[in-house]
Amino acid sequence: MNEIKQYISELLTQNNVPIPKNRMKLFEEFAQDETNINTVKVIQENEKMIVDNWKIKSTIQDIIEKHLVIPNAMVGKFYEAKLDFVKLGMNDIIFSEFEDLLSYGLEYDNETETIKGDPTQSGDFKIKMKFRISGELEDSTLNEKQVSLIINANPKSLWKDLPSTQTEDNYWKADNAQDFQPLGNKHLVVASKRGRSHANVGSFRDDDFAFKNFPETGWNVVCVADGAGSATLARQGSKIACDGIIDYFTENLNAASFSEFDSLIQEHNAGTGEDIQKKLNLFVYNKLGRAAFNVHQKLEDFALKTETNLKDFHSTLIFVLFKKYEFGYAILSFGVGDCPIGLLNKDLTEIKLMNWLDVGEYGGGTRFITMPEIFSSDKFGTRFGFKLVEDFSYLMLMTDGIYDPKFVVEANLEKIEKWQEFLEDLGGNNEENIKVEFKAENLEVANQLSAWMDFWSPGNHDDRTLAVIF
Amino acid sequence: MRRLPVYLLLDTSGSMSGEPIEAVKNGVQVMISSLRQNPQAIETAFISIITFDTTAQQIVPLTDLASFQMVDLKASGVTALGEALKLVSSCMEREVAKTTMEQKGDWKPLVFIMTDGIPTDNWQNGLTEFKKHKTAFTIACAAGNGADTNVLKQITNDVVSLDTADSGSIAKFFLWVTASIGVSSTKVEDSGKEVQGLKELPPPPSELNIVV
Repeated sequence: MNEIKQYISELLTQNNVPIPKNRMKLFEEFAQDETNINTVKVIQENEKMIVDNWKIKSTIQDIIEKHLVIPNAMVGKFYEAKLDFVKLGMNDIIFSEFEDLLSYGLEYDNETETIKGDPTQSGDFKIKMKFRISGELEDSTLNEKQVSLIINANPKSLWKDLPSTQTEDNYWKADNAQDFQPLGNKHLVVASKRGRSHANVGSFRDDDFAFKNFPETGWNVVCVADGAGSATLARQGSKIACDGIIDYFTENLNAASFSEFDSLIQEHNAGTGEDIQKKLNLFVYNKLGRAAFNVHQKLEDFALKTETNLKDFHSTLIFVLFKKYEFGYAILSFGVGDCPIGLLNKDLTEIKLMNWLDVGEYGGGTRFITMPEIFSSDKFGTRFGFKLVEDFSYLMLMTDGIYDPKFVVEANLEKIEKWQEFLEDLGGNNEENIKVEFKAENLEVANQLSAWMDFWSPGNHDDRTLAVIF
Repeated sequence: MRRLPVYLLLDTSGSMSGEPIEAVKNGVQVMISSLRQNPQAIETAFISIITFDTTAQQIVPLTDLASFQMVDLKASGVTALGEALKLVSSCMEREVAKTTMEQKGDWKPLVFIMTDGIPTDNWQNGLTEFKKHKTAFTIACAAGNGADTNVLKQITNDVVSLDTADSGSIAKFFLWVTASIGVSSTKVEDSGKEVQGLKELPPPPSELNIVV
């Protein structure tokens, strides 16, 4: 009762109608009048309703204005995002639904307050969230809030595969090449693929490879080269480098020129003769060094003849010569650039790197066969490798398109466990479950290697070449 | 994977309020959407946004393009460019992976600075910190004639200016930033080399004057 009295008293004061002291008794009666009491109650209820309604409006506006962040989706990747309204400071929401989500391949479950599904189209979308908050009538019109939904394209779909146009280029080569051949009493499988960064703009594969068996002497030669991305005619540079090595040995590798090596090996095994190791090293240095220098000269001549710059043909080059003897194998190598040659022993417990890599502190520190300074450098003598082994499981030559994604850093090339992982990867332990079976009778092995080489590795889209002797 | 870190240092002082700040916000949005369509950029580019007014704040930490979400920008206060330089230095220190024997680090960061005014703090201190870090390049943009290109020239050699800080010019600046990030990410992916500065970037549009 007091409350009513106070309300009326304040109302009168607000309206500048003071109650004189001598009228207090009359006011008491007025405040106890039933009609007046009821009227005050109605007014108070209405006031409360207005306050409540304002609170609701204001809360709705808060929700509409608040930034509702939902994680970005990706086409083809299952999406699930729970809208935690409490965490978002929208705990007044008691009902919510989304319009048009289905057109993006998504749906909303308002029980669990979760958006999920397989997004079908990419873009920056505005979706409409309809909601009701506590205090609103159950049949009230739902409120609307715009929410941003970003659906990214699958990065894989953004890469174009434009063919390199054959007719327009003198130095065109196939985007992909592969081969599988017996090589002496071993086998060689090799695949070379144009990288996605080249495919994306319809440019050429810069990698190359070549190999040859010399039945007369029993020697085998395998080369891999990687044309520099920044050199305009690198595709031709790597081709001249590989073909040049094969041509050089075709002319210069014969019984007469290589018989010295055979007798040195014999002496070495018999433990006779003097300074045999030195003589062997010198032989390797002379024969392979001349081959490398000959290739350098061929590139120089070609640049001169075509009135282009030698540096336009920048290419790395690695090559191995190997021969089966009674005791096992002699393996000789040369390398310039950042492509590794790895020799794995028979039971896969040891890795021998045949070469060191030209890698600079900030990348781009590589050297090329086109650079005359490599031949005069005091490091030239260290570019050769020579190994005598009873047998081996794999001898691998690869470009950085393989080495970068699979070994990442140079230090890992020294670790046998990294090579074991690499072999497991080749053996099918990969995202696509593609298996390469290194068996002489597997006629599909080149196709398998080529298919394996399509592996996805973000940021690694260079040309890829891998030659495996097994 | 080697990331290409990109730091955007944006002036959000009071003088930027209205049309300029809206244009900056829009410019960043358009930039992100466009870079998302670039296969090299979406795999390599990571973006961070640092705003500076009375203080400097990293409002978006280094984030890949796919999950990047733009936040609201409001303009008020003065121009603590020095603090922004100091902040970006500590962010680079913390966020950019270094190359070791065991891992290949991130690419050297790209830094874009946009300001329409004169620094109100001790910017030389911030610059000393900033200079300790190697960036692939740092581009400073003086938006309108209120900015002091002499100050910016001491931060980086690569300074561009906009005659006016209107929405059209700011949009053009961000289009050029977009193209520059695109070119940089393509270059690191294709040739394994970083872009070294202005001369290797796409030519700026006519609205942008190169300050020599």
